[in-house]
Amino acid sequence: MNLYQEFLIIAGIICGLAGCASTSDEIATSTKAASVKSPEVSTSQNLSSSSSIYFNYDESDLSVNASSEIRQIARSLKANSSAKVKVEGHCDERGTREYNLALGERRANSVKDLLVLNGIKSSRIKTVSFGEEKPIASGSNEAAWSKNRRAVIKVY
Amino acid sequence: MNIDVIKLIILFPIIFLSTSLLGQLRIEVTEGINDPVRIAISPIGWNLKRPSSLYIHDVISSDLASFGEFDSISTNDMLSLPQKENEVAYRDWSLLKVDYLIIGEASKTEEARSLEVNYSILDVVRKRVIHRARVQGSEEDLESLAHNMSDRIYKEINGIPGIFSTKIAYINRERDSEGDYYLRFCDINGKNDQIVLTSKEPIMSPDWSHDGNNIAYVSFEDGTSRIYIQDLISGKRKGLKLENGINSSPTWSPKGSHLIAVLSKAGNPDIYKYDLNKDRWIQMTNHFAIDTEPDWSPKGDKFLFTSNRSGSPQIYEKNISKNTVRRKTFLGDYNARARYTSDGRSFVFVHRKDGDFHIAVQNIKTGRVRVLTNTELDESPTISPNGNLILYATKNGTKDILSGITIDGSTKFSLPTISGEVRDPSWSPLFK
Repeated sequence: MNLYQEFLIIAGIICGLAGCASTSDEIATSTKAASVKSPEVSTSQNLSSSSSIYFNYDESDLSVNASSEIRQIARSLKANSSAKVKVEGHCDERGTREYNLALGERRANSVKDLLVLNGIKSSRIKTVSFGEEKPIASGSNEAAWSKNRRAVIKVY
Repeated sequence: MNIDVIKLIILFPIIFLSTSLLGQLRIEVTEGINDPVRIAISPIGWNLKRPSSLYIHDVISSDLASFGEFDSISTNDMLSLPQKENEVAYRDWSLLKVDYLIIGEASKTEEARSLEVNYSILDVVRKRVIHRARVQGSEEDLESLAHNMSDRIYKEINGIPGIFSTKIAYINRERDSEGDYYLRFCDINGKNDQIVLTSKEPIMSPDWSHDGNNIAYVSFEDGTSRIYIQDLISGKRKGLKLENGINSSPTWSPKGSHLIAVLSKAGNPDIYKYDLNKDRWIQMTNHFAIDTEPDWSPKGDKFLFTSNRSGSPQIYEKNISKNTVRRKTFLGDYNARARYTSDGRSFVFVHRKDGDFHIAVQNIKTGRVRVLTNTELDESPTISPNGNLILYATKNGTKDILSGITIDGSTKFSLPTISGEVRDPSWSPLFK
């Protein structure tokens, strides 16, 4: 057969298989949902430093080490007036996800409050909580959990 | 490159696309009750010209046995295969210790536009017909018709609606630390899995609207938590007005005109409701503590929420018109994420005991608590719309899985996934 006929056959097979691929079962379902892909947000900012401080279970208080690290960050921020800060609050996997979103926010706010107390303008500091959604260590044990109970301080 | 090589290159990926459509979840009963009801579905007569695309009796048998409440007799063991009532010999069924027999016949309706199944439910012990009914459906969607029959048969025998036509929404990820996040839903038996949203950033807290047409969820695609509602058929979605801080934990009002959720824009997380028509947030709690995880009562007059205003997370209930808040939980130091049962008389929640997180149920009037699970990292309980089953997220080793339990605690089941991690389940309403 000629090239045109071959092309039609191939096109027919592709359409047939594409038809199979677009339904999730041989039997048509009563609810066929539309699938959405969320737009990707591009991060155009330049990260100049990132540090993490850690927390005890169920708590948002800053340890002595954490406080001194934050004070150091405050000092470098005062020296660089154009720099901005983003503080992310995180939790380990225990407890409910939504409550952990609130706990993560408390942790981020603890950091922000200490930065403000050390002379950094509130408008330079953004906070966001990811709760337990973005762990850095996997595993259901204290070794992993302690690494995930953190605030990440990003300077741009 | 010759034409044959080109043909191979084109066809190759399409063949492999179809293998990604395997269902994600399947139900396995891990601990059943001692004497389930024994039921037999005799193959439904098929009086149509075209052969049937599936066996209705297989779907019904499988449905009813899903949660260990029923034990379905295999057709291999049946001594006769009646389709009409006058073909039934009760002895054939009492020999097999069957409690209930279902027989029926499928035919085209008089207008020949749809299919109908006339069926009867027979009580084998009492040797009589207890129910006769007719269901209609389309020949193209026999699966839905069969699930509809399962629902009705379940209701006749158990007195509460069946949930075999319901669906589960859930969050899934291929691996814990990498890859896209998916919001998906599938039939309660794991089939017909569909993707609602694909994202590079976390998705949380899906909640079905009461009419089953929309899902609300939290997405981090904007760099922070934001609530979206999405029409399941059209895919059209709307982001609720984004406020500073947390925007999360959405649940729908009974009539679908509002959502109740959490905002921390005023400095700490409080409960707010969102008017979908006016696109406006209205504050519902005002306290310096963390208030989160609201759930609207079935009547719309109250809501449950988690608050640590007494020092640690506990469940509270607010009467909206009376503007009163009452603490509900007093057992232990961590009680959170309450969900009302459909009759509004109880709620299911996460309860921490000796450091372990379990699912518990509390009767609102009596305050009596029953801890249901002995798994240890339980969260996100969701209740079936007939109030009988609870699905929740937990861990099996390092894997995130869904598990289930009947509300009386008698039967446990699990839904191991074929691939990836699964969490945050939300049970659909009954579809009308």
